[in-house]
Amino acid sequence: MNLLSIIIFLPLLGALALLALPERKTKTIQQVSMLTALLTFVTSLGLLLKFDGESYGFQLVERYQWIAPLGIGYKVGLDGISLMLVLLTTLLSIVAIGCSMKIDQRLRAFMICVLILETAMLGTFLSTDLVLFFVFFELTLIPMWLLINIWGGKNRAHAANKFLIYTFAGSIFMLIGIISLGYLYFKTTGRLSFDLVDIQAQVANGKLWATAIAAQPYIFWAFAIAFLVKSPGFPFHTWMPDTYAESPIAGVILSSVMVKMGTFGFLRFCLPLFPEALKSQVPLLVALAAIGIVYGAAVAAVQPDMRRMMAYSSLSHMGFVLLGIFSLTRMGVLGGVYQQLNHGISASILFLLVGYLAQRRGSTMFSDFGGLKAQTPILAAIFLLGMLSSVGLPGTNGFVGEFLVLLGSFQAAYADQFSIGVVVLAAFGVVLTAVYLLYMFQRIFYGKITNPENANLADLSRSEVALAGVLIVFIFWGGLVPNSFMKPMKVSVDATILMAKGMVDHRPHWDSPETPLEYYNLQKPIRHVEALKPIIRNGPKPFLMAAPPQTPSPAGMGIRAGSGAPKPAAAAPADSKPVAPKPALGSRLAPRSGSATPAKPAPGGTR
Amino acid sequence: MTYESIWLVLLFPVLGFLTQALLGTRIEKALGRRVLGFLAVLPIVLSFAVGLVITLGLKGDRSAPVTICEWITGGGLSIPFELVVDPLSMTMVLIITGVGALIHLYATGYMNEEREFARFFTYMNLFILAMLILVLGGNLLLLYVGWEGVGLCSYLLIGFWYKDLANAKAANKAFIVNRIGDWGLSLGLMLIVALLMSSKGAILDGRFLSYDTMLPALKTVLAAHPAMATAIALLLFVGAAGKSAQFPLYLWLPDAMAGPTPVSALIHAATMVTSGVVLLNRMHIVFEMSPVASAVVCVIGAFTALFAALIAFGQSDIKKVLAYSTVSQLGFMFIACGAGAYWAGMFHVTTHAFFKALLFLGAGAVIHAMAHNQDMRNYGNLRKYLPITFWTMVIGTLAICAVGIPGVFGFAGFYSKEAILGGALANTHAQINGVQLGQIAGWVGLGVAALTSIYMTRLTCLTFLGKEERWRSIPAPVVDAHHDDADHHDEAHHELDERHTPHEVPVSMWLPLVVLAVLSIGSGFVLAKGGAFEKWLYPTALPVLGEVSTEPSGIPLAMYSMIAALGGIALGLVFYLKGLPKNQGLDESKWTGLRRAERDQFGFDNAMTIAAVEGGGDIARGLWKWCDDGLMNGFVEGLGKLSGGMGDLMKRWQTGYVRLYALMMLLGLVGLIGFFALAIQRGVH
Repeated sequence: MNLLSIIIFLPLLGALALLALPERKTKTIQQVSMLTALLTFVTSLGLLLKFDGESYGFQLVERYQWIAPLGIGYKVGLDGISLMLVLLTTLLSIVAIGCSMKIDQRLRAFMICVLILETAMLGTFLSTDLVLFFVFFELTLIPMWLLINIWGGKNRAHAANKFLIYTFAGSIFMLIGIISLGYLYFKTTGRLSFDLVDIQAQVANGKLWATAIAAQPYIFWAFAIAFLVKSPGFPFHTWMPDTYAESPIAGVILSSVMVKMGTFGFLRFCLPLFPEALKSQVPLLVALAAIGIVYGAAVAAVQPDMRRMMAYSSLSHMGFVLLGIFSLTRMGVLGGVYQQLNHGISASILFLLVGYLAQRRGSTMFSDFGGLKAQTPILAAIFLLGMLSSVGLPGTNGFVGEFLVLLGSFQAAYADQFSIGVVVLAAFGVVLTAVYLLYMFQRIFYGKITNPENANLADLSRSEVALAGVLIVFIFWGGLVPNSFMKPMKVSVDATILMAKGMVDHRPHWDSPETPLEYYNLQKPIRHVEALKPIIRNGPKPFLMAAPPQTPSPAGMGIRAGSGAPKPAAAAPADSKPVAPKPALGSRLAPRSGSATPAKPAPGGTR
Repeated sequence: MTYESIWLVLLFPVLGFLTQALLGTRIEKALGRRVLGFLAVLPIVLSFAVGLVITLGLKGDRSAPVTICEWITGGGLSIPFELVVDPLSMTMVLIITGVGALIHLYATGYMNEEREFARFFTYMNLFILAMLILVLGGNLLLLYVGWEGVGLCSYLLIGFWYKDLANAKAANKAFIVNRIGDWGLSLGLMLIVALLMSSKGAILDGRFLSYDTMLPALKTVLAAHPAMATAIALLLFVGAAGKSAQFPLYLWLPDAMAGPTPVSALIHAATMVTSGVVLLNRMHIVFEMSPVASAVVCVIGAFTALFAALIAFGQSDIKKVLAYSTVSQLGFMFIACGAGAYWAGMFHVTTHAFFKALLFLGAGAVIHAMAHNQDMRNYGNLRKYLPITFWTMVIGTLAICAVGIPGVFGFAGFYSKEAILGGALANTHAQINGVQLGQIAGWVGLGVAALTSIYMTRLTCLTFLGKEERWRSIPAPVVDAHHDDADHHDEAHHELDERHTPHEVPVSMWLPLVVLAVLSIGSGFVLAKGGAFEKWLYPTALPVLGEVSTEPSGIPLAMYSMIAALGGIALGLVFYLKGLPKNQGLDESKWTGLRRAERDQFGFDNAMTIAAVEGGGDIARGLWKWCDDGLMNGFVEGLGKLSGGMGDLMKRWQTGYVRLYALMMLLGLVGLIGFFALAIQRGVH
């Protein structure tokens, strides 16, 4: 069953269905679009049942030829990193549609835009073909441009164009990067392909970059600029305040998912494909992330408009995600990936509430508010909870992600990967976060009502509370039982780190997920030293060569050939699934030293 | 009941919190405030009872963590939700729930006339929960959870009367200044984790922050890295200084008095602000290994004690005097912790919890009786109207002044202050390059003890003694028109004026006073007898420092302390028994320069506020206008304008044909591809 394709295109189907409806049937339009979003969400929950959290390979893979001569295919697959982002997208689409029911101008077109946007985002997270990824990545721009341009605020045209041109300019670089990678792949293998799995396999065995290592930083930055613009990272964020200030609320909520396409891009492409460049560029990238955290928070504190404040707040919060990812430590990347979800939840609840305020008052300027707590206690209470999640208070989801990011980056800095000042600065961002959020809460809710227009402001209705309540549940669920969200991510995160940090031939590849990650492990403590002793003692080569290949592999002995062999399977039965963690810190598998030095295994098979 | 039932202690406040939060207003409407108040006090009492039973049954196997469930697992790190039952945590549990229950009871009376009764007790029960997590948590991250949790409750309760924007600002200040401390604390945690992860043979199962695995590992690792001990200790102390209001992070505590008085008693005197001392006791191994950090702790503690005591002289607001007194007493506790007499710090935490809660609740009773006017210059002769409050407050004052006769009997503070000063003077741990900063701190502390006696006597005299009933000189308003904000139900419902007659507070309010007074009299004597408290808290010698003496040889400390306490009281009586001195009256222009400087915290608060709020605001606005709008956005928009301008130049290209645009895009693309092709080619060779 093509579950992934169904999830990607369900919203599009809904959009087509809306096209068939007459514009004036508002009620039906509302129902159909809501139903589509709900159905997509429920279907995406099915992924949880199908997903195997112990494997780092792509799952539920679908591969079709698309532009065969160029080696471009429709290839989608799911891993631990994309799983939660898909769920976040489908969940927040419900919220975005739910809060837009009252739009009185061209509702049908609005809903179509939102649904197409959802399809594009889901496609982005699930593509495993570089060109397909690019297509979906760019497809998000059009509905978003329309949303801003048609349903936006006063300066909507300018904001929409700026958004479009800025992000488009960024992704042009990525396109060049993709073409370069395709070219390099062709040079290496004599075959044209834009399949991420194929290309990464050549990166893992060192062949792709063997002759073009000097070009790696350029191509890395071609991708990085596109993703930094999208995330947004300092100093590529200036499209964001205008976009947030002018976009309709549904657009802002969805763009809190869209920014994850940037950080996701780093995880999916920059980490696995550019291991050498990464090493030299990390100090710069983490510095940008830390500056973004502090700068965003500082500038957020003096904004007169809630929406602009939220834009800078996003810059600050996404800085944590970037910092975590580039720490390249297990805690840091896991925290970064988790923080993507948390920011999605906590930012959209604040957007939602700001949207409610805007609906009631037609303004989001702080100067128009003040003293609302007495008038709208429920709104104030929910706002407080959302704010606490954003502040990163323990017990809420924001804390877990932020703390893991800081721990991980501190660990990396302690190991001299980059300056410790970066972490100290980033940690100070937590103080500034409290400054601007508390100041915001004070300006909206505390004191006496000064503006008579607020004197009769209605509190949240039942349906509004329900919509916000869903997100509140996730705030505490994510803070109190974070493992239920982090568990599916772990293996994919570990694999991604090893792809980025491993030496040539000691990088996992997606096309042989049977090989336990412990085999590649360079940095983390091995959990089962006993079980891995044969590998440590003999080095990987003899035992791999001795093992008969289980699957016919044209190019001979890939690492995957060994993993199915009876001997290691018996020796290390629980490698990827620790039963009772009895690890030994410090006793590390260091394949580059002593007898463990691997004799180069034969090149990994190309399919 | 074994120690494994410790989760019950947390369960009751959780239930109480949920009841108040979700059903509070309904219960209030259906069954009335008495029931709601009862439901707020009950969980704390139950927690106290369970805690007491567990404490009495505590023997052997003391610090085995009780793991409740998994919390954060991943990335090689494992942080379970685990609780630690040991003398330190149980001491705090009993203080928190015991004093907490009394203050809850008191608050049912104090808050009876306020709106949003349920909201108040929601926050209060949540506070108890967070504070219990702080002390019971089995790892540093759970401590951090409680740490920020109590900070949140403090924020919510300081801003409880949110309609007054000043309260909201005080709440923000408290939260933000605390966050600066948390910044240090979190960096300390990170350093610990990074250090342990990078050292060989440390912790096997990823429980890097759990006390039972972390502390022994730290001991071995830090022995090899003494500089790291200092770094970790100082970072932890930044956190402690934030929460425990040490210089320069004390700034938030005086402003925090904006909250209702029971809040000041519970959070800003008895429990939360002592968290820093608890942290130092918990992590004492790190401080033992770093004489430098310990010396810093001593110096900051002594300076804070002195600085705050001086400021207390310039305050006319009864709660502000007590607030600075709290800051000063916390300084004493840190002197002890810096000197290595960790138990003495905790001893003072315990006795201080009793007498300072008593003093605050007494002050609350006075404020309650005086129509919520907090200015002592309007008080006088209140012993006539509030006899119970008066006598209990006198006991509290004697306890904080550390009055006692060596070898016979003393009030609670006598024994704990004695242990602190003795510990500081008898030890040589806290030193930098041979300068005995710990001992210097001890002598400073002795001087501050005398100052304490004077300003506390001042408070008692101005409030309760003298013949003058100074509020009688406030003229009653001519027209008693109803206020323009009739629904403004906070502390200023009706003003204090000449017609006012104070009345003794109801039983729910004076009963806690009496209980706390008994504790303020006897607790020091009982706990100090035969070194009971020290043996209970630290049954074995310290791992690095060994036995820490609190009896300096060759110094008749007990004699000195007695002179300081009694002399201070005598001096205070000389100055203030007659009533309000002329140069401290309502007309502050007649004040001496020194007193005005003390009133203004020697200009420190003002300077910091200007630096942080205005300076920070200016920097942020500058960044926004110049850097963001000007430079970065200007560049982007400039590019847009440039291409627009070029478009004007090349109008004939603007044919409106999409295919032409597509061609242009293609050309641009080709150019870029060319660049990258070159790069790749260059890379190839």
